[in-house]
Amino acid sequence: MVMKEKVRIFLDTDLLEKYLLGNTTAEESARVERYIAMYPEVRKTYHDLEENLEAFARLYSRKTPEGLRERIFSNIKNQRSGRRRFMRYAIAASIAAMFFAGSSYFFWNQNQSLQHENAIVNNKIRVLEADMKEQLEDVRNQFIVLNNPQTRKYLVNGNQKARDLKAIAYVNPVKKLSYINVQNLPQLPENQCYQMWAEVNGEMVNLGILRDLDDKDKLMALPYGEKAMSYITIEPEGGNTSPTVQNIVANIKY
Amino acid sequence: MSTLLEKHIVELLHEGNDKAISLLYEHYGDTLYGVAFKVVRNEEIAQDVLQESFVKIWNKSHTYDPAKAKLFTWLFRITRNTAIDKIRSLSNKTDKEIQLDVSDVYNVGKEEIRPELIDMNKQLDKIEAKYRIVLEALFFEGMTQQEASEELGIPLGTIKSRLKIGLRELKKIYGAASLLLFTLMQWL
Repeated sequence: MVMKEKVRIFLDTDLLEKYLLGNTTAEESARVERYIAMYPEVRKTYHDLEENLEAFARLYSRKTPEGLRERIFSNIKNQRSGRRRFMRYAIAASIAAMFFAGSSYFFWNQNQSLQHENAIVNNKIRVLEADMKEQLEDVRNQFIVLNNPQTRKYLVNGNQKARDLKAIAYVNPVKKLSYINVQNLPQLPENQCYQMWAEVNGEMVNLGILRDLDDKDKLMALPYGEKAMSYITIEPEGGNTSPTVQNIVANIKY
Repeated sequence: MSTLLEKHIVELLHEGNDKAISLLYEHYGDTLYGVAFKVVRNEEIAQDVLQESFVKIWNKSHTYDPAKAKLFTWLFRITRNTAIDKIRSLSNKTDKEIQLDVSDVYNVGKEEIRPELIDMNKQLDKIEAKYRIVLEALFFEGMTQQEASEELGIPLGTIKSRLKIGLRELKKIYGAASLLLFTLMQWL
C-alpha cells in the first residue's frame, strides 16, 4: 500500500516526463532512474512514454531537403578528420615525449655508468700508485742490498730431489735485508709446485709459490732474522699451509 | 518497434562506424527534422539544427546507454535541446533578425501542403486539436501537466483526461502503423 502510494506520488510529480525529454537535473535523473529500476509500474509508464513520444514525433515528420544529408555527412567527416588530425598530433607528441624520456634515461644511465667507471679508474690509479711506490721501494732496497759491500751472496743448489735448482740469495746483516733470485727450477708434474718458506725467530712464514718463468729475473724479498732459514719445498698444486719437510729441495741459512 | 535495427545502429555508433549516421539519417532524419522544425518554425534554422544535432549525436555516440533510453528518446532529446538552444542564442544575439524570421516562420502554409507530407498531416489530423495541443505541450514544449494547465488555461483534471485520450488516439494510429510494419517485416 505504502509502496503504491509512493509510486503514485512520484508519477504525479511529472518528473518522469521531464526525464523523458532530458529536462531533469543530475539529482532528479538519479531519482527517476532509481524509481524506474525499482518499480515495474514506473518502468512501464516510462516505456509507454517513450513509445508515445516516438509515435507522436513521427506524426510531425518532415521531408528533409535535398543536399542536407550531404552537408551533414561532410560536416561529420570534417569532424572525424579533425579528430584524426588531433590524434596524429597527439601521437606525434607522445612519440616525442617518449623519445625525450628515453634519451633522458639513456643519458642519465650513461652518466651513471661513466661515474661508476670513473670511480673504478680512480681506484685503480690509487692502487697502481701504491703498487708502484711499493715496487720502487723494493727496487731501492734491492739496489741497496746488491750494492752494499757488506752484502753476502750465497749460491743455492737443489738437493737430489731437484738437482737443477739454482738460486742466488743476497743477505745484508747490517741493513737487515735478504733477497733470493731463483735462476732455474726443474720441471715438475702438473699437480705440484715449488713453494718458498722462511723460518724466522722460530716461526714458519709462507713466502708463496715460485713460478719459474715469471720469477727468473726477480729478486724475492725474504724476511730477515738472526739465524734465519729459508726452504724451498715441493707442494701440491696451489700451495700448502705448512711445508712438507720430506719434500725440501733446498735450504738457505743466513 | 524496430529494435533489431536500433540494436544494429547502436552497435555501429559505439564502434564509431559512420554507417550509423547514414542509417540514422535514413530512419530518423525526417522525424528529427520535423521535431527541429516544430521547435524553431523555420526551414533554414531547422536544417542548421538537424546538422548540429547529427554532429552532436556522432560526437556523443559513446555516451548513449541503451539501458536508460530508447534510441529515439536519446536522438529526440539531443535534437530538441539543440533546437531550443538555437532559438535562445538567436533571440539573444539579434532580436531584430529573429523578429523578421518569425514573421517568415508563420508563412508556412505552402510548406504544409507538400504532397509527401499530406499523409502524415492526415494522420496528425486524426488526433483532435484539443488533444494534440496537450500532447505537444508535453512532448515538444517540455511542460509539466501543471504548467500546461496554467499555460493553456485548462484545469489540471482536463489536461490529464485529454492527455489520456490523446495518447489512446495516438496508439490507434501507430498501432495500425506498427501492425503494417510487422506484416512488412514478415514479408521481407
